[in-house]
Parts: sequence; C-alpha cells; structure tokens
Amino acid sequence: MKLYELSAAQITRGIHEGKFSASEVFLSCLARAEVLEPQISAMLTITEESGMAQAKAVDEAVASGKKLPPLAGVPFVVKDNMCTKGIPTTCASKMLMQWKPPYNATVIELLAEAGAVLMGKTNLDEFAMGGTTEHSVYGATSNPWKLDCVPGGSSGGSAASVSAGYVPFSLGSDTGGSIRQPAAFCGIYGFKPTYGLVSRRGLAAFASSLDQIGPFARTVEDLALVLNAISQKDELDSTCSCRPRPDYTKALNAESLKGRRVGVIKEIQEYAIDPEVRKAFDQTLKFCERQGAEIVEITLPTMVEYGLPCYYILALAEASSNLARFDGVRYGLSTDAESLLDLYTKTRAQGFGLEVKRRILVGTYVLSSGYYDAYYLVAQKARQLIKQEFVKAFGSVDTILLPTAPSPAFKKGELINDPIQMYMADIFTLPVNLAGLPALSLNAGFSADGRPLGVQFIGQWWDEEGLLSTASLHEKTFGCAPIAQGGVR
Amino acid sequence: MADLTFKPVIGLEIHVQLATKSKLFCSCSTDYIGVAPNTNVCPACLGLPGSLPALNAKAVEYGVKAALALNCTINTATRFHRKNYFYADLPKAYQISQYDLPIAEKGYVDVSTEEGGSYRIGITRLHLEEDAGKLVHEASDGRLVGADQSFVDYNRGGIPLAEIVSEPDIRSAAEAKEYVTRLRQLVRYLGVSDGDMEKGSLRVDANISVKCSDGRWGNRAEIKNLNSLRALERALEYEIKRQSQLLAEGEEITQETRHWDDVEGVTRATRSKEEAHDYRYFPEPDLPPLILPEGYVEKVRNTLPELPWQKMERFMSSYELNETDAMILSEHMALADFYEACVEAGASPLRASNWVRTEVLRVMNEQKIDITEFPVDAAALAQLIAKVDDNKISTTAAREVFDTMAAKKVSLEEAMKICGVEEGGISGSDLEKMIRNILENNTDVVETIKSGQDKKGKKQKFLQGLIMKEARGQTDPREAASLLAKLLEE
Repeated sequence: MKLYELSAAQITRGIHEGKFSASEVFLSCLARAEVLEPQISAMLTITEESGMAQAKAVDEAVASGKKLPPLAGVPFVVKDNMCTKGIPTTCASKMLMQWKPPYNATVIELLAEAGAVLMGKTNLDEFAMGGTTEHSVYGATSNPWKLDCVPGGSSGGSAASVSAGYVPFSLGSDTGGSIRQPAAFCGIYGFKPTYGLVSRRGLAAFASSLDQIGPFARTVEDLALVLNAISQKDELDSTCSCRPRPDYTKALNAESLKGRRVGVIKEIQEYAIDPEVRKAFDQTLKFCERQGAEIVEITLPTMVEYGLPCYYILALAEASSNLARFDGVRYGLSTDAESLLDLYTKTRAQGFGLEVKRRILVGTYVLSSGYYDAYYLVAQKARQLIKQEFVKAFGSVDTILLPTAPSPAFKKGELINDPIQMYMADIFTLPVNLAGLPALSLNAGFSADGRPLGVQFIGQWWDEEGLLSTASLHEKTFGCAPIAQGGVR
Repeated sequence: MADLTFKPVIGLEIHVQLATKSKLFCSCSTDYIGVAPNTNVCPACLGLPGSLPALNAKAVEYGVKAALALNCTINTATRFHRKNYFYADLPKAYQISQYDLPIAEKGYVDVSTEEGGSYRIGITRLHLEEDAGKLVHEASDGRLVGADQSFVDYNRGGIPLAEIVSEPDIRSAAEAKEYVTRLRQLVRYLGVSDGDMEKGSLRVDANISVKCSDGRWGNRAEIKNLNSLRALERALEYEIKRQSQLLAEGEEITQETRHWDDVEGVTRATRSKEEAHDYRYFPEPDLPPLILPEGYVEKVRNTLPELPWQKMERFMSSYELNETDAMILSEHMALADFYEACVEAGASPLRASNWVRTEVLRVMNEQKIDITEFPVDAAALAQLIAKVDDNKISTTAAREVFDTMAAKKVSLEEAMKICGVEEGGISGSDLEKMIRNILENNTDVVETIKSGQDKKGKKQKFLQGLIMKEARGQTDPREAASLLAKLLEE
C-alpha cells in the first residue's frame, strides 16, 4: 500500500509508531498530486515548501518523543475560499488573484494545532457559486472517475483531490450542497455540519446564514477526526455555537440501527430522479432496514415546493451584500479609473465572472426597496415554515434519507449555459442549509458507466454523532470510499 | 401676503461617539486622534474576506445607559441590519446599524426655554451603529477643491456610535442649540462619550421644514454635519429665513440635503445624487439577535448617577440656591461633587456656592486644570469658609489664604502661616493701640470728622479701610468699626 492511500487515522498512527515519517507521507501525497493534476486540475496552489516544513516539524516532534496531536503529519487541502495567512486565497476569481490574506481562517488554525499539514488550496466555482467547478477563472476541474465529467461544485477541487488520493481529507464549504453534491459526484464522504458547529471566520462569505465549513474524507473515522479538530467555539464568529462538543470518534462503534427511525420524504417519490440514483437510494434504504431501522414516511411539502426559490432568493440577497466589498479600493483587483464610481463599475465588471454577476444582480434586485416585501420577506417566511416542517418531521424520525443529487455527475459544459437546470441540481441539498441541519453524503455504488452515486443522511440539529454512527455502519458493510485512478493506471 | 407667519419644524439626528476602548465589532483601539493612518485596523474592521463582526458589550451598556437617562423604553430583544451602499470610506460596502428594532425608543428630554420654563422634546429612537472611515482629498496644490487624489484612513471605521433621533418637536434655532447642549452635557455626565463636537465625537444633522400660517407646508431640507453649536444655530436661522421667504413668494421648497458654509454663512444644496438612495436594509446574518439578559436594564439603571437636571432641582430646593447658581454647579458631575463635599464638610451652602463659582472656577481657569486635579480639597475649603463664617478671619484674608493653598499646594494651616494670618486676629487692646496709632498719623482726617464735615461718613470709611489694611484683614471689621467710633468721640 502506498502512503498516499492511507487514511488520516492510519497516517498519524504510522508516524507515531515510526513506520514512516510525516515527510515521507507528504512527499508521497505531493507526488500523487503531481501525477494526476494535469488530468484533474483540482489544485490552485500547492504549498510544497511550507507543507514540507510543517511535515518536518512533526518528524522532529516524533524524534524528541513529544506527544503527537490527533492529526499529526496528515496532509490536507482546503477550498480556496478559506483564508490562509501569506498564501494566495483567490476564491477562483480574477477579483482576488494574487491576494494573500494577513490572517488564517479559524479552521486553518485549528487544523494546524491538530498537527495536520497544509498541502494546498483547491479549485472551486468562483466565490463558491455554482455546482460544477466550471465557474472558476482558472478553468474547470475534472471528475477523477470520469475525466469528461464535472466533479460537482462548488467544492469540486476539494472533493476531487480526496477522491483521487492526493490527501486523505480536505475542507469544503457548503451553502446549498457544495460539500455533499461533489462528494456524491466523486464517490467519497462529505459532511455538512449543523450551522454554528464550525467557525466561519476566515471563510470568504457567500451567504452568511447558510454557509458552513465541513470535511471530505474517504473513511468515516477521518470525518470524525477532522470534525473533532475543527468544531470548536469561536468568539470571533458570533454565529458559532458555545455548546460543548463531544468526541465524535466515539460515535463509530454502532452495532446496528435498531431503534433508529429513518425517514423518507413522500413528495420525493414523484420527483424526476435518475434511475441509477434511485436504485442506489433504494438499496441504502434496504440496508437501513436490514440493520434494524424503522422506515417512516414523512411529508415536507413546503420544502419540496418552495425550498429552491426560497434558497435562491435568500442566498443571493446575502451574496450581493457580501460581495459588495470587492470594489477595488483596498485589496485585490483595482482598475484604472476616472472617478470613484468608475472604479467600482470597471473593477467589478472586470473582476467578477458571469455566474457571480448574475447572482449579484438577482440578489440586489430582491433586496431593493420595491421588491423586498415580495421576495426577501416572503422567502424568510418560507424558510421558517421549512424549519418548522423539519422540526415536525424529526418528531417521528431520527434521520432522513435522500439522494444527494437527482443525477450522477454530468458532462462538462452540459449545464454551463443553463443556470436554472444547474440550480435544480441542488434541490435535495439546499433545504438542509435553509434549516441549518447537519447532513452527510456517502457513496452508494456506481452507475453502469462508472460514475459514483451518492445518497445523504440528514440529521437532527447537533446530531452529528447519529450521522457518523449510521455512516460507519454503512462503511462496515460496503467498505470505505475507493480512490479514483483519474485516468492514470 | 404681509400677514403670513412661518413656523419652523425641526428634528435633529445626533451621532454620539461612545467612549469605549475598542471598536463596535472588533478589539481594535478607538483612540485615533493623532495616530498614524490605518494602524488601528484589523481584518474585521477592514472588512477583509472572511472577517466577521463580534459585538462589543460595553457599547451596548453605554447605549442603554444614555437611553435610560433620556427616558427611553429599552428593547431587550433587538437586532442589527446591514445598510448597503458603496463608498470608499465604508470597507464592507455596508454599515452595520439598527433599523426596525433600535435598542431604545420613545424617550424625551426637557430643555429650558428663554422664558425660564421648560419644554419637552421627544426622542424617537436611540440606536447603535458603526462609524465609517475618514476620507482625505488632496489636489496637487494641496487644496480640497479639484482634488485629484483621495486617501482613506480606516482608524475611525468601526467606532461605536449611538444615533439619537429627536421628534420634530424643536421650534427654533435657540431651542435646537439648547437641546444639543443638554444632550452633550448628559453624555459627558454619564461618561458614555466625551461629547466633543470639534473632534467629531458629537455630530449633528438637522431636518427642517417651515409651516406657513395659511396652512401650506414646505418640503423638508436636511442640513448635514453641523460641527459646532454656533454652526447649528446659524445654519438653522438661515434656513428658517430662506424657507420662509421661498414660501412667502409662493415657491416650492426642494427636498434635498444641504451643507452649511460657515465662512459665507449660507446653506447650499449638496450636489444631489441622481436617484434616491436604496440602502437595501436586511438583517445582518453574521450577528445573532441581541437579547439583553434578564435584569440587564435594571443593572444599568442602577449605575445611572443623579442627572444634572435632577441635581439642579435638588440644589435649588435643599440648598436654596438660585437657578443660575444651581445650573453652574450641576453642569459637571465632578464640580457638583466638589461643591457638595464642601457643604457636607460644614460650609454653609450659599457661601460654598459663592466660593466654588467664583474662587474655585477662577483658579481652575488660571491653572487650566480640571476640578478633579484641584489642589485644594473640598474639606479644607469648607474649613476656610467656616473661619470666615465664624468671623475668625476676614473674607479678604481668606481669599489670600485660599490663593496660597492653590498656588503652593499647601495645607490650610501652612497657608495661614505663609500669609501671616492668625485666627481671631487683632482685637481688644491690640486693636485699640493700632487704631490710636492710625489716628495719630492722620490728624487732619480726624480733625475733619470731629468738625462735623464728614457728613456722608466717607472719611470715617477711609479710616476704617486703613485699619483693615494695617490689620491685613485679621480683625473683625465690626469690632474695628465700633472701636473707631468710640475713639473718635474721645
């Protein structure tokens, strides 16, 4: 077994036992990335030097017999919308090319404390807006299982790099499914925690009330380890919860699903879902039943009917405001201009890509005084209703099973000029963000032509443990997520 | 036409900079005076990607404190909104402010009127918001006009402000001035702001319209950024005249923002923006709702000192001071405390009032010091006043002693020694001897008096003066006068 194929848990254990060094692991991962990058293009920056230095520091700690932190020597990559001090943070936008933040996102600090080694920054849809990782100023990322397909988005680079074996885990951000959908498309685990579990400080905001950082991994244990490291309260993020966090690795020893009630949403039955995705969904449901779970039909009519428009109003309203700061005055792109207004319009016209502009315009429109009541306010009310529906549903179930996306990964370019169709692909993921719930996407097999099929479990608020427990049972039966060969043998 | 009269309707919006040590949403210092530009800044107050606001609890406390003193209702569940607009001094391109749910509403403040009564001005709301940065424009010749370069200093960006919005209850420029004076006194008194208009800690925008006696209403104009009481008063007076004149001529008044030109003494329309502002307010998603804990408001209420106007009332009723004196003494908390300490240490209230208003304020002025740094403590002053009251020393001697105490920072005893002033002074046979001496040296005056030519008593007063001078104030003037009269009759 190659070092890059190991899980995070195996890497730290191996380093601790002296089987190999952190430097060897780092070089193995780096080499794997270098071989596959020409085909996959998942990375925007590779931090070879600083990563090597971090790995060496771990090796020195081992040599001096120091106690190792839980992710010591584990290489990881993060979506390039999380601030890394002195390392470019571009959000895949022309607006921030060359921009190096003067501070680290809280999650970056926490992972450094946990001993993990940053190997680089990954590609994404510009400012996390998109579902394919094609809306990047640096070009599209490929799906490691099928190079002519998209890896999903917007955290496509983070998903692809874990799927292709560059690193055992990575971080993405999920505003409407941006961790779970690419996890499904790339055949790995993707975890969107409860809103407020993980600090958003240092995450370039798309929609503040929906964004949440979460991990990608190939094993459930790794998900739990990373969650342990990043789910700390943060006084600098007022929306980050103060409640105590459990040790998530303790949730991995479930024997069965006896006593657990798994919900299926009645309204989904009529929905146009790809038959192979539906088959994977049915098989997962059967698995739950076999494991002793009780299957309960629930109804979430508002979510199904209004979730999507409600999401696209609220998310884009917040996005239009969050992205207003990119004006050419303080950092990032700044054009030559005759006046202040000229500076704004030219900088923003040149700096933002088409999809981002589209969303800013919609967001500005729904917030403008004449339309606020008709759009934003109504959407807020719909959001409350959707939350209430979930509260009611969780009265009769513990988790909800849902396909992650209506279809497996689609071809590159297929939806690039059809934004509505692309937005529709988020139909099963975005209600989770509206309600602030945790959800975990896992691989449930492959299509006949070799594309991964994903399903997601949605948990009750703060029931990360229930989701990890269910996923670990699934893993025991079907195995962990396989590494894609990325077209290279 | 000639019979038409015009009544102004004025409402003020006052931005008060709260005296917190750190900014409203981050821990950067608020001390920006004389600091190099852009040094008190961090990712949060610069609005860098990924940065988030974290609310300063002290700013909330100060806001609530001021609001309580303004008799407002405190909203214990409020929230913040984003006010979106583009400007170079606004890092995030939105200002975090309170919109539909301010922290306090529906208060009032009483101001005194010229006729001596008092008039109640309603407070619509008090809300918290962050300040913007500061723009400095510069042309190649160093002037502002035609500037071809602009610089932004974000040191001020994010400093906490309380915006206090009045009802349109103000009826004259003088009343507006009185209202701002009151508010300034209040925030200083509470210690929630230094209230310094010159430094920009207190900034006033005025909304003004004029109602004609024939029932016509003029449109409202807003005069922005009036940075002194004088400017406020002059600008309003000008604007009342301008609007009244326009209405009298049957003209329409344009609803606009105007700027006060202090040099020319006129208001001018600022270049109007083509379209009306649409701030696209919406609830700030990065901050949870602000819920004040149970008992919080009461706790803050308990920290409220006696307010200046309450103190003034009390000074008038318990110490029998007149209104002017009571007002002067209650203007600043520390001065009032000094005065009361003086009374408590035994000085009579009226005499203490005289001493504080004249001697203490004079020395403060001369030495350019604050009452808190005053070299004579209240108890020592009370002792000195008591000596005068008991006729142990004269007022003149007491003044000399007081000045010595203040100048040399010495105790009462030492000052008396330095001035050669003795308690009780010269009396009895010593005094008689001294008077005889004086009479001998002024035989011509004595002659005049004895011959009955000193009808108005001027000459006798002159002799009395000589005695007091000789005694250096250390004698009881009544004893000296009766003794003098007795000796003159010999």
